[in-house]
Amino acid sequence: MELSQLIQNLLNGLAIGSVYAIFALGYTLVFSILGIINFAHGAVFTLGAYFTYTLVVGQFENNGLLKGVNLFPDGSPLSGNPWAFALATLIGAAVAGLVAVLVERLAFRPMRSRGADPLLALVSSLGVALVIVNLIQLLVGAEIYNFPSDAYGEVRPALSFQIGERVVIIRTVQIIIFAVSLAMLAVLGYVIGRTKVGKALRAVAESPGTASLLGISVDRFILITFFLSGFLGGLAGTLVGTAFGVAGPYFGVTYGLKGLAVIVLGGLGSIPGAVVGGLVIGLAEAFVPADYSAYKDAVAFALLFVILLVRPQGLLGRTQIQKV
Amino acid sequence: MGDFLAQYGFLIVTMVQAGLLGLSLYFPLQAGQLSLASPGFYAVGGYVAAIALTNPAFAGLRESLGNAMFPLTWLAAALVCGVLGLVVGVPALRLRGIYLALATIAFVEILRVVSLNLPVTGGAIGIFGIPQAFGFQDRWQYIWLFGPLLALTLLFARQLERSRVGRAFRAIREDELAADAMGVPPTRYKVLAFVIGAVLAGIVGAMSAPFLNTWNAKQGTFDASIAILAFVLIGGSRNIWGPVVGGALLTAVPEVLRFLADWRLVINGLVLVVASLYLPQGIVGALERLRRSRPPQRPPAAVPEVKGGTP
Repeated sequence: MELSQLIQNLLNGLAIGSVYAIFALGYTLVFSILGIINFAHGAVFTLGAYFTYTLVVGQFENNGLLKGVNLFPDGSPLSGNPWAFALATLIGAAVAGLVAVLVERLAFRPMRSRGADPLLALVSSLGVALVIVNLIQLLVGAEIYNFPSDAYGEVRPALSFQIGERVVIIRTVQIIIFAVSLAMLAVLGYVIGRTKVGKALRAVAESPGTASLLGISVDRFILITFFLSGFLGGLAGTLVGTAFGVAGPYFGVTYGLKGLAVIVLGGLGSIPGAVVGGLVIGLAEAFVPADYSAYKDAVAFALLFVILLVRPQGLLGRTQIQKV
Repeated sequence: MGDFLAQYGFLIVTMVQAGLLGLSLYFPLQAGQLSLASPGFYAVGGYVAAIALTNPAFAGLRESLGNAMFPLTWLAAALVCGVLGLVVGVPALRLRGIYLALATIAFVEILRVVSLNLPVTGGAIGIFGIPQAFGFQDRWQYIWLFGPLLALTLLFARQLERSRVGRAFRAIREDELAADAMGVPPTRYKVLAFVIGAVLAGIVGAMSAPFLNTWNAKQGTFDASIAILAFVLIGGSRNIWGPVVGGALLTAVPEVLRFLADWRLVINGLVLVVASLYLPQGIVGALERLRRSRPPQRPPAAVPEVKGGTP
């Protein structure tokens, strides 16, 4: 492989891998606290993109109950310049976070208070995902919506530089994705590692019973976890939506599954694991030769399968103590 | 009757088929293994049948065998899935709980992507124009295939539960380490349970390919994995009737809700949420408890027959 090709693949892989990482962080946060996999996370990812789209465009021209609705007759105040778009992205992610909180209250908490089988929580979260995806279809149709191509304003043109004979191209979107993801990771790392809230969260993850004895309101911190998880998922949705320019009701499904591969690869419940897993899978996909690009979607799962056999606890996971 | 079958025949057969797929996940669950690989084996079985029934390479064989070709496809699917189950099962069953579930999801996804890209499976379009089994005219006639298969499987499951092997499965489910210490080799029985499920799913796939007339990568997806898991959990995972009842009901729900038009899939999702909240033992589990707790005046000696040998 030529050097320029190598660098190009590396950059592409880092950009998409960093989105996988922040998406997967949402999964792994919930897993580390509740020990369940929230299958509605992929649907929240989709919702994030749709909320941002609504704030930026506000018109639904396809089928569905909202057909013909125009929220902003004079054009959305949140479009046209990169800062407005950034704001819309943040609000979209926050609303997705609120939806995740709602999901926790309606589907997970009642189950927890009954002490039900965690497997049932899995089915329940899948039911929630079905509800969300079909509500989207019902409201705004099954067709794909295009994000405005000037979402990031005038910074659209790509950076490019020459290495040897070939030109390496980095899209602006890729830089933004990478930067935003890094910033998110830094903020999250700070919140969880250094603040009181983070300390309490870690205590709840370690042992909910002991945490509640120490005066930590476990239910409240579970809600915070779900908000963070939904926020990260929704943010990833918008980032991917803008990178590919589109959002459809089903585009969270693939990411939902890949996110699973990411967190298991890194180590279930491990935060640095989710980051490493995301980057590894993003890079692995970027290095699939063009001739075999049809097999790209299988790469994550092949890696997952292999790692489970070699090192079931994942790259950075802790070995779980066996019940005797 | 004719009208009824014309209208609901397809649904009824699909309900039985769903029950069978539920059972294919129930067998590994008997040995405490949460495997979501059923749709993968179902898809492979279907591809085996679809290729055998349409590919020009097998034209001569079809010519000379006639209708005997169909049972042959079931056998071939069972064999292929059995071997594949062994190959995947031996390494994968070192994993436990959610890790095994995720590994089997990965297996299903890999199979899906591969079948999307191979020429022999027809790529993204899949294989179509699969001839109807035994020259059936109507879809409801497939009940003559799926019905007996269900009866046989249930009989097999019941006998298995009462056998030494079934007790070994249960011992592993309850406590693998203890079972191991008592001389029950966990790996061997876990693989056996996994392979039984794989073979069953493969045969169901081979019967379904002619039934659906077309076969493509959509047959074995993650969604299907979860749907089948839902059949078992909502129906009840501790009784052979659980997967059957769950499969039949959850397959029927979207049809019954058809009057709700666009809302039906939303309601379908809500049904999953509500059922997992209020029926933690599954429908069959709840019914059983109801039956057991109803006659309080009965003396304890007359406790209803204990199912499956040892309690």
